[in-house]
Amino acid sequence: MAYRLGIDVGGTFTDLLLLDVQSGKTFLVKTPSTPQDPSVGIMEGIERICQVAGLSPGEIAQVLHGTTVATNAVLEGKGARVGLLTTEGYRYILHLARSWTPGPLFGWIIMKKPEPLAAIEDTREVEERLSPTGEVVRPLNEEKVRRDIIDLRDRGIESLTVSLLHSYANPVHERRIKELAAELCPDIPISISSEILPEFREYERTLTTVMNAYVKPKVRSYFLNFERKLREAGINSVVNVVRSDGGLMTLRAAQDRPVYGLLSGPAGGVVAAAYVGRLAGHPSVLSLDMGGTSTDVALTRNGQLTIARETKVGYYPVKSPSVDVQTIGAGGGSIAHVPEVTGALRVGPQSAGADPGPACYGRGGQEATVTDANLVLGHLPPQLVGGEMSLDVDAAHRAVERIGRRLGLDVHQAAQGILDIVNENMFGALRLVSVERGIDPREFALVAFGGAGPMHANALGRLIGSWPVIIPPDPGVLSALGFLISEFKNEFAQTFIRVMDDRLTLDEVLSTMDRLGEEARQWLIEEGIPPQDQDIRFNIDVRYYRQGYEIPLDVTHDQLRREGLASLKRRFDEIHHQLYGFIPATPMELVNIRAIGVGRIKHFELHKHEPAPGEAAEAIIDQHRIYFDGEFIPTPIYDRSRLGVGHQLTGPAIITQYDTTTVVLPGYQCTVDEYLNLLIRPQT
Amino acid sequence: MSTQRTKLDKITLDIIENALRNARHEMDAVVFRSAMSPVIREQHDAFPMICTPDGRMVVGQFGSYISGFIKEWKRGIHPGDIFLTSDPYKCQAAISHINDWLVLMPIFRDGELIGWASQFGHTLDIGGPVPGSLPTDATTIYGEGVRIPPVKLFDQGRLNEDVLDLILNNSRTPEMNYFDLMAIVAGCRTAARRVLELCDRFGKETVMEAFEALLDRTYRAMSQLIVKNLPEEPVSFEDYVDDDGRGNGPYKMKLTIWREGDHGYFDWTGTDPQAPGPINFYLSEEMFKMFIGVYLIMVFDPQILFNDGFYPLLHIIIPEGSLLRPKFPAALGCRTHALARLFDVLGGALGRQAPELTTAAGYGTSPYLLYNGYDENGEFFHLMEISFGGIPGRPVDDGLDAHSWWPLFENIPTEYLESYYPLTIEQYGSMIDSGGAGFHRGGNGVIKVYRFEADGEIAIHDDRERSHPWGVLGGLPGAPSSKLLIRKNGERVPLPSKVSCVKVEKGDRLIYVTAGAGGWKDPLDRPPEKVQKDVIRKLVSLEKARRDYGVVLDPKTLEIDHRATESLRAKMRRERGPVPTFTFGPTPEPIGVMAEYYSRKAREETAGAGVGDRRA
Repeated sequence: MAYRLGIDVGGTFTDLLLLDVQSGKTFLVKTPSTPQDPSVGIMEGIERICQVAGLSPGEIAQVLHGTTVATNAVLEGKGARVGLLTTEGYRYILHLARSWTPGPLFGWIIMKKPEPLAAIEDTREVEERLSPTGEVVRPLNEEKVRRDIIDLRDRGIESLTVSLLHSYANPVHERRIKELAAELCPDIPISISSEILPEFREYERTLTTVMNAYVKPKVRSYFLNFERKLREAGINSVVNVVRSDGGLMTLRAAQDRPVYGLLSGPAGGVVAAAYVGRLAGHPSVLSLDMGGTSTDVALTRNGQLTIARETKVGYYPVKSPSVDVQTIGAGGGSIAHVPEVTGALRVGPQSAGADPGPACYGRGGQEATVTDANLVLGHLPPQLVGGEMSLDVDAAHRAVERIGRRLGLDVHQAAQGILDIVNENMFGALRLVSVERGIDPREFALVAFGGAGPMHANALGRLIGSWPVIIPPDPGVLSALGFLISEFKNEFAQTFIRVMDDRLTLDEVLSTMDRLGEEARQWLIEEGIPPQDQDIRFNIDVRYYRQGYEIPLDVTHDQLRREGLASLKRRFDEIHHQLYGFIPATPMELVNIRAIGVGRIKHFELHKHEPAPGEAAEAIIDQHRIYFDGEFIPTPIYDRSRLGVGHQLTGPAIITQYDTTTVVLPGYQCTVDEYLNLLIRPQT
Repeated sequence: MSTQRTKLDKITLDIIENALRNARHEMDAVVFRSAMSPVIREQHDAFPMICTPDGRMVVGQFGSYISGFIKEWKRGIHPGDIFLTSDPYKCQAAISHINDWLVLMPIFRDGELIGWASQFGHTLDIGGPVPGSLPTDATTIYGEGVRIPPVKLFDQGRLNEDVLDLILNNSRTPEMNYFDLMAIVAGCRTAARRVLELCDRFGKETVMEAFEALLDRTYRAMSQLIVKNLPEEPVSFEDYVDDDGRGNGPYKMKLTIWREGDHGYFDWTGTDPQAPGPINFYLSEEMFKMFIGVYLIMVFDPQILFNDGFYPLLHIIIPEGSLLRPKFPAALGCRTHALARLFDVLGGALGRQAPELTTAAGYGTSPYLLYNGYDENGEFFHLMEISFGGIPGRPVDDGLDAHSWWPLFENIPTEYLESYYPLTIEQYGSMIDSGGAGFHRGGNGVIKVYRFEADGEIAIHDDRERSHPWGVLGGLPGAPSSKLLIRKNGERVPLPSKVSCVKVEKGDRLIYVTAGAGGWKDPLDRPPEKVQKDVIRKLVSLEKARRDYGVVLDPKTLEIDHRATESLRAKMRRERGPVPTFTFGPTPEPIGVMAEYYSRKAREETAGAGVGDRRA
């Protein structure tokens, strides 16, 4: 019997999902997170899930883990003290950043900029210089570097970063400094930019490497502790960590390059949404993960995740491959407010968080949130099935009423308004990942999850025209499901800025691909992936000469040999025309060549359920008068656990389950598929 | 699609507002991703807008200019038309120099004009005597480059290739200009699509009604802000632009403000006459109203969609023939200094009423470096780089060091510059001591050291070389800017803040220092620990810590000598007396360094060598 265990440690709950690989059956446990030492919550969860599934911990063959330890260290400013070595003349690189201040005009008046992750006084300049093509223009002054490293060590830095100009073209100086540092301070972890992000643009590369160094000590001790606890509990399985791009890495890689795993949670959600969509017969999906304070949206086309090169963690733009997730400050806890001067209704980005939380939590929150609006309208029942918390309807009413008074609307209109505004904000994010990139969202299904996603999913489907709207059986633990189906993945990139003209030969491109491919293959071997499960993919970033943004094109060795480099230009022209409406007579240039090593995991299917007897009506547990688009309509409340395969119901309807509620609007119908997904479509 | 609503309710209005905001960001994204010149692509010098059919801005940054265009244009407007212009004198200063190419696209629904999408961006070169088309010594607009009157770039959907060829034929960078223009067109088309989709969702009438309601909302908000923030008795504020690039100056800009009821008056009487050189800033009244509105409203509801709605509440007086309303054909190319100074003056004038909300003055311009020549492969290169400086000390915090006062601009990475241009950037950092002392320190300026790796020519556009960025409520002024060219042979040539066609040779170096910013509130109240930290970080020197902050540090250990600090601060307080609301630096003398430079230039020109040569 092979069991695989996915563990997602979030801010409030730790989700565990256990998969029986043979049968496709899953078991689910949620425990409260223990931020002081997350392993406490995890181990409690493991104990419980083993009881539920009736197995001993020793039977778990693989543990897949995603964690917010690194992200939280950044957001809370609790990382290590980092020393930074830069090229001479660039001591202020982090302090100056990209000189950006926010819009609109005068945005700088209220801008709050956090301190750099490596302080100026812990930054030292290195006497050296490389040219953009990697020639040594000024040799490394090793004596001075030694002195500076010793000085930084004595000042008490806990982690060291080296990021030199043009090191993407030649890592020679960074590597030498790494050797010197290993010799002088063997206990201090070192991150060098040519290993973490060998791509050009010095600020982003430096910042990303510094962020890696910043979280490294914390992440390292977290994983060491985690592993020890697992072993103590008798779990001797393989342990892997999920990367921000939805791939897997070993525990060791996770400790060396934690910056690659900053967004493991959201990545798991997107991977799982794509999987759920594929099982339901929709390989192209938009995913919507709506939680308490924010919403993540992403797009997956034909099963292929969209990978972004840059993402934001708090204020900081981090360049590490990540599932392209747009995050907006709109969630169940987003606060509605009416600024005095304009009298307009605003929702978010401020959030009531978990504490005090929405007014209806009864923990002292006074301000109206999205959750309060849902409660006022009846979209959220005051008591969830099997839920432990009951909600204070009166408090929600009072809070929303206050908003209504400011707007001259009654409490229900105001609540509807709050929902409409927050939906519009999420709609904007969904457009960013679809329409803005020339992709028609009407060809996609919408997979909604997170605690609040299923409440808003139908309304968003209506706005963006994506059908069906799919609500998976356990929308609260989708990230953990994503972990279970992730593949091993690592990227090997080379900045290769060359204009595509007569001087650039196909062989140069192919030999660079081969070299990177070989690095990827070596890595897969080191990770212990058997040859038949190894897969190497390539892409090349291209743009018109001197354009600022690149578009990655997937390529294969054979196809390039067959069709030549000119085929890249043709494909790029076509995409550019689709996106921007013109094709210039400008040569194209290659920017980065990338090999992606993928270790496929053993394929499995989730358990299919048999068609259920009876009708959906048997799952009705109550009936309320609920407000939809301006009127109260008698609406049945369904217990999701009693809905089975093949059941069908029509809106308006409210479907409740342990940790979330699904709203089906009037004019829509909902069916249950064989994986127990709810599929919502316009009524025919 | 769905959700057809027949009448405009408050919520629909807010939804449309959000959708328009998203459309505006989408316009930006499309342009930045597809444009080519670094100044648009990396630095974001491009500005989008969506307007009502009669040309009032519903969303955007600068305020609308379309009504002026509609008044002038007599040859019909049809679906599929896209207009292009770059002539400030033919669009009531919608754009203020000929480098800005303005694209206007009418939006039609069922044959009816329902709005406009528009965007303009700074193009790299549009002909004329000097690469970059920003000669610092032009005396008329004819001497700057090609002016494009309003023309149809697309005529009912068909690209007007003759016009395009004619224009591009005059540019030294035709390919980049083509890219940037098409990127701007793509941005406008995106906006138009979004507006039409809103009509699909809500119905055309509702959308048009929403436009009006959004304008009205801003009107009402502004009426409150005017009463709160403008004085009934007139107050004035003045500041200076250093010079006009031809040895004349300084130029005073003076603004007087007051209110009558809920109407605000902004009077530029007392501003100096127009300059012979190209620093004139033909100020559009609409644009100025927008600046005022944004300044006032920023603090109270930063999420609002800025629009034209409040325009009837503001009254602008600009004397004809002044620096801000020059007579045709005055040169306008280098208007960026007066444009930036306008914000300092506006902030200062409004600040007299509400000092607690006031910030100090900043680096007060957009410093440019232009560099062109032929690289080792014989190919023409042309770079324009926008630099930054000190952000003023502010109520919330210190001013930022070497950041952009203009929103969303970014620097060009060194690795980009060195990869695409024959340049080495030896240093890029914060200029020590250039930020004015204050309880909240003024930001430091930029110090950037360029080494030129090919023979060529450079131009410099900067200001605040002689007029200091003032401090407020006891904060002290920031340091001015400076440029020093160090020839390969070690000769040191100070360059003025505005100059073009300076020959440089491979191996020459330029030290480009931009101005800092003024401080906010009394530096003697700044916690000594903060001053100490700035000294450790080499943002402030030991000497300045003592001189301006009264903080005494041990020169070796940099430990604070608390006793010495207290007594020094007490002494300084006694001698100084109460702090003034504004602390200006010395008022700029009429032309000093400049006179020296111009006489030198004249000598060299006579001798047939050097700095002032023109590319044919």
